[in-house]
Amino acid sequence: MRERVSILDGNTFLVSDRQGDIEPSFDFPTGLFSFDTRFLSTWLLTLNGERLHALSIDDAQSYRTRYFLVPGEPTHYLDAKVSVIRSRSIGGSFAEELTVLNHSGQEVEFTLRVDMGADFADLFEIKHQRQKKGRTTPTVGENELRLSYHREAFHRAVVITTTAPADIDESGMTFRIRVGPHGEWTTRLQVATVIYGARGEDIRATLPLGGHRTASNIHAEQNELIDRAPKLGCDCQPLAGAYRRSLNDIAALRYESIALGVRLLAAGLPWFMTLFGRDSIFTSLQVLPFLPALIPPTALMLAGLQGSRLDDFRDEEPGKILHELRYGETAGFEEQPHSPYYGSADSTPLFVILLDEYERWTGDATLIRQLEFAARSALDWIDRYGDLLGTGYVWYSTRNPETGLQNQCWKDSWDSVSYSDGRLPGFPRATCETQGYAYDAKLRGARLARKFWNDPAYADRLEREAAALKERFNRDFWIPEKEYYALALDAEGRHVDALSSNIGHLLWSGIVDESRAGLVAQHLLGPRLFSGWGVRTLADDQGRYNPVGYHVGTVWPFDNSIIAWGLWKYGFREEASQICEGILSASRFFDGRLPEAFAGYERNLTDYPVEYPTACSPQAWSAGTPLLLLRVMLGLEPQGEHLIIDPAVPEGMGRVELLDIPGRWGRVDALGRSRGPHDHAH
Amino acid sequence: MGEATERFFASLPARAPAVLHGPAIGTLQIDLSNGHRTEHWLVEMGPGSARVSRESRPADAVWSSSEDLFERLVTGRDQAVAAVFRNEATFSGNVVLFLAFRRFFPDPPGTRDPCQMARQQAGRAT
Repeated sequence: MRERVSILDGNTFLVSDRQGDIEPSFDFPTGLFSFDTRFLSTWLLTLNGERLHALSIDDAQSYRTRYFLVPGEPTHYLDAKVSVIRSRSIGGSFAEELTVLNHSGQEVEFTLRVDMGADFADLFEIKHQRQKKGRTTPTVGENELRLSYHREAFHRAVVITTTAPADIDESGMTFRIRVGPHGEWTTRLQVATVIYGARGEDIRATLPLGGHRTASNIHAEQNELIDRAPKLGCDCQPLAGAYRRSLNDIAALRYESIALGVRLLAAGLPWFMTLFGRDSIFTSLQVLPFLPALIPPTALMLAGLQGSRLDDFRDEEPGKILHELRYGETAGFEEQPHSPYYGSADSTPLFVILLDEYERWTGDATLIRQLEFAARSALDWIDRYGDLLGTGYVWYSTRNPETGLQNQCWKDSWDSVSYSDGRLPGFPRATCETQGYAYDAKLRGARLARKFWNDPAYADRLEREAAALKERFNRDFWIPEKEYYALALDAEGRHVDALSSNIGHLLWSGIVDESRAGLVAQHLLGPRLFSGWGVRTLADDQGRYNPVGYHVGTVWPFDNSIIAWGLWKYGFREEASQICEGILSASRFFDGRLPEAFAGYERNLTDYPVEYPTACSPQAWSAGTPLLLLRVMLGLEPQGEHLIIDPAVPEGMGRVELLDIPGRWGRVDALGRSRGPHDHAH
Repeated sequence: MGEATERFFASLPARAPAVLHGPAIGTLQIDLSNGHRTEHWLVEMGPGSARVSRESRPADAVWSSSEDLFERLVTGRDQAVAAVFRNEATFSGNVVLFLAFRRFFPDPPGTRDPCQMARQQAGRAT
């Protein structure tokens, strides 16, 4: 794969090659994207008809990149008589400044050209390669090239303007320039993306936050967010680097919701720059101790879009929390179901879990009262529509076989749920971790009902249901001869008996019988599941195991952060530490930015984590991972009005100091220090 | 104006207690056009209540679409968010009101209970 450079502000992002060029591509989304539409698919710079090569790239900031370019092959670098600086930034729109520097003692004539094109592809059309149904029209104006796309009332445009005079044609701009001895020439290209809505105006013009921000606005806003997070002091460089990187990436992944006019977290670059129920809830849980202000807009948006009717195309039912919301053409014309799509069996119980966890940290009872109906509807959904077969479990089976999701758990690829021998079960399916979430949601819902909704009878009922679910689950999902919980039940109620990382989430939800927790922990840290870097999604002796299979053998940092949380909950601090150490060590190889997933190879086989080929990066719940691991290592747990701090720092990590942890207690500091034979030096 | 639309607006006050909860309070103006003229409806929404009138006064949010599209929405044959995304309907103002209002739209005609379907699929009695 060619190396790519991305810049990002919310769900507007640009992916180009190392020269800063964009060429039409159908395998990987290169180009300028905003709200799921590609507004630039060609953006190609030539000097005197020649492509340029990058001497260096400065991409320290998420929203800005600078390329230092020269003509010719790398061997000619030292002879360059001319160089070009390409400086670009993104913030609602995209701007690029081109500067030509003449290094010779004579005046020189140059022909600089930028080829420009827009295919207005929907992100899903790039994944699946479809012919556009609408029409693109170029219009050449003075200092401006406009490309408009129409399909019925659907209308998007990109308008490119230049500050320096140019010969403009339908596919680009040519600058014929003369640059004096040791002189320079500059133009600024502004690329505005327009999404037409009410009264023929840009849809973002009517939003409270406004669509367009300057690079300095973004810089200030990101810094303000990061300043509010606790300060980390530690001896461990990978941890310090991952923490800083995570906060930066979380700040950059916030985007302005077209619908609500609030900033939400997008899930991951490049495929998932939109709102996902599950991803946003898990990320919220991870970042809650650090940036609690991110949670209310997410919770309000998920509640606002909560399912209200039965709709087979969207897998929607009353009370269900959405899976995925997309703004593009395929969602609008119902070629894809994302308006929103509800095919997720776990986001609904997870929503209740998030509300409870949020209140326990912040003491914000207002939001809990405001969302009482939404939370009750979510709890009702578990039994009314989640329990498709009436057996007391949450099941899933899509009612949209063409474009719906087969697997509606976090491992949502088609082959993620299998028997040990690799066969795939029929539908519906009930995965184990979803039952754990349902159990936890009922207990947490009971606490909210008793404390904030003034409904003790409802609380009692939820607690009885949770206890019965736990008993039933431990009877039906436990495989005695294998000594672990089945990955799922099939429609006949038989064990889908693969050994998977899903059992780690069971510890987090608390549904595991105390007597079995030790066996679960042993499996998680045993050689079949644990690679040395982290827990594999699927054990390496299972039929479908593949170290580079998306959900069947790779290691997911987010998955591991939840597993570490679960191990800690059951008192397995040593085991949790092992995961913290493994994942944080891996982060060092990605410059602190944990990808969506990496390969499941043994740590001592490769010595470095092998990146999964098409992993999304940055990805929100991977960025959230170092934060949750910090919480686990420091043992941070709200209790009443106080924060319990009970550190267990992995051996060799030394001092870990987190200052100004926000919450209902105001701000407090936590300090941990590793204690082991190798730690006396610290 | 289609009959289904008239009936839909007439039913809102009675249905509001079961449908409207949470933070949506305000007025939603609904403009429906048939190419010749535009009809205005005003819905005042509060927790558990909806008042419908044909008054013309400033609202907190405005929905605009054709009568045809709206008739499809109130009979469950189309979906409101997708219609906005393809710009067949437009919306401006406080979006929370629109998200609450969409809860009045019914299921697509002929939709069956998913539990029944799943039990059938799994070969279990319903």
